[in-house]
Amino acid sequence: MENGNEEEATLKAAGAEPLPEGRRGVRIHGWEIESRNRSILNSLTYEQWEQKIQTSHLPEMVFGESSLVLWHLKSGIKIHFNAFDALVGWKKEGLPPVEVPAAAQWKFRSKPFQQVILDYDYTFTTPYCGSETIEKNTEHGKGNISDQGSWSSQWEDCEEKIDIVALASKEPILFYDEVVLYEDELADNGVSLLTVKVRVMPSCWFLLLRFWLRVDGVLMRLRDTRMYCAFENNTNPFILRESCWREATFQSLSAKGFPSDSAAYSDPNLISQRLPVVMQKTQKLKLPR
Amino acid sequence: MSVDPVPSNSHGHLDEQISQLMQCKPLSEQEVRALCDKAKEILMEESNVQPVKSPVTICGDIHGQFHDLAELFRIGGKCPDTNYLFMGDYVDRGYYSVETVTLLVALKVRYPQRITILRGNHESRQITQVYGFYDECLRKYGNANVWKTFTDLFDYFPLTALVESEIFCLHGGLSPSIETLDNIRNFDRVQEVPHEGPMCDLLWSDPDDRCGWGISPRGAGYTFGQDISEQFNHTNNLKLIARAHQLVMEGFNWGHEQKVVTIFSAPNYCYRCGNMASILEVDDCRGHTFIQFEPAPRRGEPDVTRRTPDYFL
Repeated sequence: MENGNEEEATLKAAGAEPLPEGRRGVRIHGWEIESRNRSILNSLTYEQWEQKIQTSHLPEMVFGESSLVLWHLKSGIKIHFNAFDALVGWKKEGLPPVEVPAAAQWKFRSKPFQQVILDYDYTFTTPYCGSETIEKNTEHGKGNISDQGSWSSQWEDCEEKIDIVALASKEPILFYDEVVLYEDELADNGVSLLTVKVRVMPSCWFLLLRFWLRVDGVLMRLRDTRMYCAFENNTNPFILRESCWREATFQSLSAKGFPSDSAAYSDPNLISQRLPVVMQKTQKLKLPR
Repeated sequence: MSVDPVPSNSHGHLDEQISQLMQCKPLSEQEVRALCDKAKEILMEESNVQPVKSPVTICGDIHGQFHDLAELFRIGGKCPDTNYLFMGDYVDRGYYSVETVTLLVALKVRYPQRITILRGNHESRQITQVYGFYDECLRKYGNANVWKTFTDLFDYFPLTALVESEIFCLHGGLSPSIETLDNIRNFDRVQEVPHEGPMCDLLWSDPDDRCGWGISPRGAGYTFGQDISEQFNHTNNLKLIARAHQLVMEGFNWGHEQKVVTIFSAPNYCYRCGNMASILEVDDCRGHTFIQFEPAPRRGEPDVTRRTPDYFL
């Protein structure tokens, strides 16, 4: 309990309060930040998603009711992260399939009569970098989606960068969580994982949405989206969003003298620097005052 | 009742080992080696299509979730009071692959007629080096000897089982290279799981809603449709194909108009999925009952709902 009191005092000192009724998250400087970690979809909902997304293949673990929501109460702008939008992005991008090493041997195999080669992107690679809606806060605490005419949610390219130095300072963390959105084991040929982590400090919030893919013996992809919002810019509030996509084949890593066994690449944090950057951009979203 | 081949005076020691394992305490390296030597003698006598009598309880993937395996035995009944048929994937992913696979092998040696342990695609040298069992052996024994002992033993695990000549049990699924059960009986299984061919298919393939044979977009791995299951069951006078290999939220999932069922016995898989587990009881009269169960109450395992904050960048 002592620990709980201490946490409460830290929140209070920062002008923050926990969300009520067992919800996970905080209210701070006009933001309501909430995470939900739920089970994977049941079979029925899973099939409904297949129909809605118009696919016969989804990741085996879809945490369809899990989410992270950052709600700017004054403007009603909601930045949120969910598996559904990410999978819609996957379907739309529709990358060509990546063959696993065993495929070479399979080419020489005698083929049965009546066989079909399936051709969806089983890696579930997504360009997803979050969703935005506007939902006005009403007296009853229930939101309603208004039309976006009054405010255009435009991310603009910008020169500013997320202040990593400020983020490295050990301010107390008022709220932290990690939400897995979907995951697939690629039938034991690697991993495909989409997660979002958030931490809220007295001066800012920061999050990392990460798509991590390793196809054993073939390639790795890391698509990171970082968002940062400082509370001090109350006159001109904005959110910075940095996307950084990295990709490398095992072959190219091996040529550079790095290990080529999959077991050496279980933690993307440790090896991300080895993967060359293929896309990078920083954008800004101005919030109405 | 059948007579166990191990003389009764050696049971005392084995019983002690089993009760130690039931408390999630691993055996010594020497004990594992001796145990696996005995297991090898028993397993090498078993058929590629091992015949099994009812009543029997059929189980799917466990993946090192030891406490959930203990829960499974609480719910399904202790071995040997209940007969068991496990369809592979004892190791990798979870935190207690060593204790899980050692317990199952010890039960096999103690009660060879009461428990059948098939091979899953994770019972392989290559897969265990990537997905956890190898690292766990290094961590718990300080060297890879126990990993070597077990992966050598995995080569002897039977590939499929046949309950009362009507329920065909295996880890993955069917193969276009296999039409009859005799096709399976005839091949030499004592080897690492190959990357291609009928033995690979039995441990890796999946049923699909699409008819016929499908090749995965990975370029390796078959899917089989309802027409394939119907034909196979008809040719071999089978009622049902019971298999594991895929996570299902409810712990079991019927497919192909009840010609195929997927059984998954690791609840809250990877400690975060929130799925149910299930086992299939086949009684004396060959009736089926699925029993679903939830994760065992945890002691000392990381609880992912309470994450430690970190200063990620």
